[in-house]
Amino acid sequence: MRLFANINIDFMGKRSIFFLISGVIILLGMINILVRGLSFGIDFKGGSEIALQFQKPIDISFVRQEVDKIGLGEVEVKTFGGSTGILLRSELQEIPANILPRVKSRIETIISENFPGAQKQVIASSKNSITYEFADSAAATSISNTLFKYGFQASKVSEEPSNKGIEVRLGISDWIKDNLTEKFKDNPFVVEKEDKVGPKVGNELKRDAVVAIALALIVILIYISFRFKFSFAIGAVIALFHDVLITLSVFSILYGVIPGLNLEVTLTVVAAFLTLIGYSMNDTVVVFDRVREYLKLHKTIPLQENMNRAINNTFSRTIITGLSTMFMIIVLIIFGGEILRGFAFALFIGMITGTYSSIFVASAFVLEYANRTKSKITF
Amino acid sequence: MIVGAILLCLYLLYPTYQDSRNNKEVDAKLVSVKAQIKKSNPSITAAELKERLSSIKDSILVNTPEYKSAREKRMKLGLDLQGGMYLVMEVNTAKLLEKLAKDPDDQFKQILMQAEVDSKDTDENVVTILLRKMKAKNIRMSRYFGSIREDDDAIAKKLEQQESDAVTRAIEIISNRVNQYGVSEPSIQKQGSRRIIVELPGIAREEEAKRLLQGQALLEFKMVKEADFAIPVMNKIDEVLAGLNKIDSATAKNAIAAKTDTTKKDQKLTEEQFAKEHPFFTLARLIDPQGRIADAFVKESDRNRISALLENPEVKKVMPDNIEFLYDAKPEKGNDGINYYRMYMVNKTAELTGGVVVDAQANIDPTTSAPEVTMDMNNEGAREWARITGANIGKRCAVILDGQVYTAPTIQGKIPSGRSQITGSANMEEAKLLEIVLKAGALPAPIEILEQRVVGPSLGQDSISRGFNSAWIGYLIVAIFMIFYYKTAGSFADMGVMLTVLLTMGVLAAFQATLTLPGIAGVVLSMGMAVDANVLIYERIREELKTGKTYKAAVDAGFKISLSAIVDSNIVTLLTGIILYQFGSGPVQGFALTLIIGIVTSLFSQLVLVRLIFDFMITKGYKINVG
Repeated sequence: MRLFANINIDFMGKRSIFFLISGVIILLGMINILVRGLSFGIDFKGGSEIALQFQKPIDISFVRQEVDKIGLGEVEVKTFGGSTGILLRSELQEIPANILPRVKSRIETIISENFPGAQKQVIASSKNSITYEFADSAAATSISNTLFKYGFQASKVSEEPSNKGIEVRLGISDWIKDNLTEKFKDNPFVVEKEDKVGPKVGNELKRDAVVAIALALIVILIYISFRFKFSFAIGAVIALFHDVLITLSVFSILYGVIPGLNLEVTLTVVAAFLTLIGYSMNDTVVVFDRVREYLKLHKTIPLQENMNRAINNTFSRTIITGLSTMFMIIVLIIFGGEILRGFAFALFIGMITGTYSSIFVASAFVLEYANRTKSKITF
Repeated sequence: MIVGAILLCLYLLYPTYQDSRNNKEVDAKLVSVKAQIKKSNPSITAAELKERLSSIKDSILVNTPEYKSAREKRMKLGLDLQGGMYLVMEVNTAKLLEKLAKDPDDQFKQILMQAEVDSKDTDENVVTILLRKMKAKNIRMSRYFGSIREDDDAIAKKLEQQESDAVTRAIEIISNRVNQYGVSEPSIQKQGSRRIIVELPGIAREEEAKRLLQGQALLEFKMVKEADFAIPVMNKIDEVLAGLNKIDSATAKNAIAAKTDTTKKDQKLTEEQFAKEHPFFTLARLIDPQGRIADAFVKESDRNRISALLENPEVKKVMPDNIEFLYDAKPEKGNDGINYYRMYMVNKTAELTGGVVVDAQANIDPTTSAPEVTMDMNNEGAREWARITGANIGKRCAVILDGQVYTAPTIQGKIPSGRSQITGSANMEEAKLLEIVLKAGALPAPIEILEQRVVGPSLGQDSISRGFNSAWIGYLIVAIFMIFYYKTAGSFADMGVMLTVLLTMGVLAAFQATLTLPGIAGVVLSMGMAVDANVLIYERIREELKTGKTYKAAVDAGFKISLSAIVDSNIVTLLTGIILYQFGSGPVQGFALTLIIGIVTSLFSQLVLVRLIFDFMITKGYKINVG
């Protein structure tokens, strides 16, 4: 079987149409990003995230209601996996000041319920922890163990035998878990996944991601100039920019539109960007290789004509490879599970734009560049 | 060559297969154990039962040599696949500086607080920021740190050293506790100057594990029991255990004895016999045969058995209440390559705890040029210390951090001033570690958790099965598509893909790389890309055939001309993969690694294997249908 065996399309002549299409999508995306913003995962923003698996199916709007009552402000509640899983996320790093008294009183209720008449004294209190001191070390040890059983991260201040203090660390996710355990006594849950990222790490990860993508573009620029010509490198890098921007735009436009698809920019999505840079480049290089071959063979034929022939003759390969990779990506979207879905979707968009750009955009920019600078490309 | 590569991969993957089989085997064994536990203890809760079973399973897997070797050589699974906890921690320098400062006043605390806030958004050290802020306010560092003669930069340098010591101390404390907790294959690494990355795979009781990492460490000084006390106690323990053994085996033997004759072999004490008669000394071998000291060497794998033996109520009866057995923090490697821990019998109550130590310093003794550690105590500690050392001259005193012995030097004489010299460190590194450990009381290592990721085991299991399903479904689709489009040639490409996957897994196993969920995604994706080289070649062959070349010439040209495109395009993908590996963290790195390996192996299988098949078929005179 042969697809596109004898096609002869004037891709180069129609390049302004393709520039327009890409431009419009990118423009829409950029406006969308400016207006709605991109939704970053906690990898980059910092915050806490927990995925819970309940025993029985659970009504998500009811969970949302209950979580709102906890008083942590905006806590995102989403489904995770099937109908028994939920994902909770808060951007907060620490328990807000107005909730702190509630948390403290809860701790103190637990203590006074289980150890009536225990002498306690708060010796230090911050947004992240409360340190209590008790009459003796035996009391401190057993109270610490009890609080721990209730889900608080309580531990002795030190292992010294004379230690009377316990420190209770207050985390967002602990507070949420504690409240939900109380509310859903008849439908207990297990914690499937728990992530907590501090603001510092978030910033670092963000910077690393930007550096990695920039570095990838620079390396490609150098390699293509070395193996081909500088003008080819320019075309290639513009095509890559184009791919990343379009994928980002689609991410931002479709965010929240498709139910069950979590389109957030996370670490793995950035990994997907780098992968699509590699794959799109792969396609582009195959076309460039053919252009180089024809330029060597037919020195008298104009660049535009050679490019058209190169694209037409590699068209079938571009589509077949694209298809076979696309099969895999679709399989990952369907069967790969919740964790890989965002990643696979980024690749899905990326593969489409990558294939599109290596056919319609990359060579067109090389031609544009050559025309503008009036330089003749020979190998 | 290809057959060799395949065989090598199978060989490399065999331990992984073996390990998963062992796992199943042990699980099957555990079913009966579970019933037994339930029978003997009907009131056991589900959680306790699970805990007991998992610890039994762990000890079987670790203590059986065949299982262990398979386990060590198998492909490692990432935390996202087997479940576990990943933590990034950082030493809280600000707290450390506050502790180190001499009479910190409000002004200092204020500057320090600002420096701490500033440090949250930059990479700069708190010390550096503090130094700058002090300079801006025209305050010299020597007002709070060091001595008046030192200049600011020298002090800052020393403070940074303190910081890095605190990291070392925190690592020491964490690994101590993790080892005691019995996590299999933990990883504790230092990253940069003051970060620690802890990976604890398969932790089911994550809350407890988190707790392990908090709280100050406990430094204690305990007297080591002398041989004339300890050895009789150990003998008694041994006797009691041997007695218990006899009762056990006697009941078993009675049944057999009824049938078989008493054809007892009067042989000398075989090893088995010795083990039966001296169960305790078989596990804990006394170091000094003359019995001058009562320390014993215990195999790493026997530590659990010893503690189980000591838990026996009969043994407890003969063991004095005020003693306990403790191990060295670091094992010694025996001639047989097995790790041995030195076991000490010490007083249960500590003579002193680490809070009294104000400073410690490792240095070289100028007269003997041997490494030694100088330790200073506060007044209160010094008074006690003088009494203790005076009363125990010639005895040994163990330095213990969180229940692990670091050294047990002999007290040479009464130490009145609180300033003690500890000699006997094998090298400067050891002395330095001791210094850091001794400071645990005076300078706790305040650590903060910056990043924390926990994956439950069920999610991990789910991810594995999803990953594998995606892989084979994806393979089937691409394989069918290739055969449909390129006919016979397509099926060769499919073989190439198969080989690619096998090679990728083999290489991963050879590097002992960790397989993560994104890593599996990487394998799935490279299967899609793996056919690319073949697509390029086949398309080219078709084109060449169209220009009227002979079949052989077309095939030759197809392979030859496509080569530059294949090489160039794959190098570009490879480069981005390497960048991804360099800048990614954790799971993303796993993805990058499989992607890189996938590219290399797919090139090998597509260019070498498929070419080989083509050449073979052509010399035999077959024409391969390229569709």
